[in-house]
Amino acid sequence: MMNKTSMIAIALLIFMGFYPLFVDSAWLAVGTTFLVFSVVAFSQDIILGRAGVFHMGHAMFFGLGAYTTAILNVQFGWPILATWAPSVLVPMFFAFILAGPIIHLRGDYLLVATIGFNIIFIQILENDIFGLTGGPNGIFGIDIVRVFGIEFASGTYMYYMAFILLGIALFIMRNLDRSKFGRAMFYINKDEIAAQSMGISIRYYKLYAFVVGAGIAGAAGSMFSVQYSAVSPEAFNVTQSIMFFTIVLVGGSASLPGVLIGTFIMFVLPEVFREFATARYLVFGLAMILTMILRPRGIWPVRFGNIPSYLKKDVK
Amino acid sequence: MSEYILEIKNVSKFFHGLVAINNLSMKVKKGQIYGIIGPNGAGKTTLFNCITGIYTPEEGQILWKGKEIKGTTPYKIAELGILRTFQTIRLFAEMSVAENIMSGRHIKSKQKWYNGIIHTPAYFKDEKENWLKVGELMEFFSLSEYATTPAGDLSYGIQRRIEMARALAAEPELLILDEPAAGLNENETIELTKMIRKIQAMGVTIMMIEHDMEMVMSLSEYITVINFGAKISAGIPSFVQDDPVVIEAYIGSDEEDDHA
Repeated sequence: MMNKTSMIAIALLIFMGFYPLFVDSAWLAVGTTFLVFSVVAFSQDIILGRAGVFHMGHAMFFGLGAYTTAILNVQFGWPILATWAPSVLVPMFFAFILAGPIIHLRGDYLLVATIGFNIIFIQILENDIFGLTGGPNGIFGIDIVRVFGIEFASGTYMYYMAFILLGIALFIMRNLDRSKFGRAMFYINKDEIAAQSMGISIRYYKLYAFVVGAGIAGAAGSMFSVQYSAVSPEAFNVTQSIMFFTIVLVGGSASLPGVLIGTFIMFVLPEVFREFATARYLVFGLAMILTMILRPRGIWPVRFGNIPSYLKKDVK
Repeated sequence: MSEYILEIKNVSKFFHGLVAINNLSMKVKKGQIYGIIGPNGAGKTTLFNCITGIYTPEEGQILWKGKEIKGTTPYKIAELGILRTFQTIRLFAEMSVAENIMSGRHIKSKQKWYNGIIHTPAYFKDEKENWLKVGELMEFFSLSEYATTPAGDLSYGIQRRIEMARALAAEPELLILDEPAAGLNENETIELTKMIRKIQAMGVTIMMIEHDMEMVMSLSEYITVINFGAKISAGIPSFVQDDPVVIEAYIGSDEEDDHA
């Protein structure tokens, strides 16, 4: 017996799987970027929706992954495949050392601190401090993925690579939610004092959320840089961080369908209404305000109570 | 090692220069039910917060099995086997009853850091063991029918049971109950009394703050009475009950209430 949610999920999966067959190259690119942004939004959701940390600098980890691939490939000639692991590990490393000193801060203070990190990151990129980041123009000419002489160059290949990446991200999110680690994040989010009194180290699990979230965002960044074969600072600025933050809150914190809906509304809808030029952002801003007033827990809120069936036998 | 599992020696706690706990000492024996009573604002909950690491007392010692634990962070106190409930219920309100109780299994779960990302056979075994333990506790506290209900949607009496189940899930050596009967009706209080006796029979030492005199007098083997942060009397229930100092403290506070 399948419930409504899994049926919608399967229908969506089939649609997404065949999407490249129906669209032109511009819409294919929108689809690919939607998948990549969904992965970033999911990784933001680990930190914001699960651990409850008001982190508004997530574009930095996304950018760290993108720039790691770009620098290693363009400046040092590494094949793209070889840059995948570093593009995950470098953001994880920075998440660990940057979040460590601020993790104890209260929500609003931490939010300001993470914006600060994002601004410094953009400054470093734009000023080309190590002579590696290409300054305000960024880095061009990033290679495509090549495996045994096969070139994954077309937009369709890009789309399916992003599709697989989203699959991996969803697999990790599901595993996280069903583990001691994901639950500990929820407990901290709902009541820090009660969580501590149950033996949960707030610091450990918030850092865990940051490091895992940064790693997934880094993988998405690597994919993003390959898709556009270029990276530039403005794709990873605070405005982008605000978008990822908003996606989670509008869609529904800690809700897998919610985050997908959020990404669709915040990224795909503006593309659909491109002909209305900047006027579309008026509607967009209003939608954000109305969602928060009418559905403060998001469009598709998370549902708890996913417990093993053998514990449900007495439930009426 | 002494026969006392927990020793509080000359503990004082100040808030902005005001004394909340004043040179307080007590000793809790293993397996005992230890009652703490006193008028409102006497510093009873502050004492529990000092034991569980939420506050660090400025003076004195708190010894757990002979070892100083003053200043230890709350999560490490829980790892030592000291678990508590709260006077103002602190459940994870949006989460289901089963998930709330599962939080107590946190320190018993043996999942490795990578199990948050990838699951292994050891993970599946551990996960199942812990959920089954949650199932046992739900049965013990008659909560099975609410397994998937958000804890915040349930009545006060049921929420108190969930809090106790959650603390007990961690298999504590010392269970600290902060006014477990507050807000319960007569029948629920009788049920609670039975349950506390059963928990004691499992070998758990219990410390409790309680205003329900009938309950605290019938359950406790030893009672300390606190007023204005200091100990004013201590002994077996029958002694404390008849101690003129205690009667004075309670009647005195009643008179103040009348004037207010």
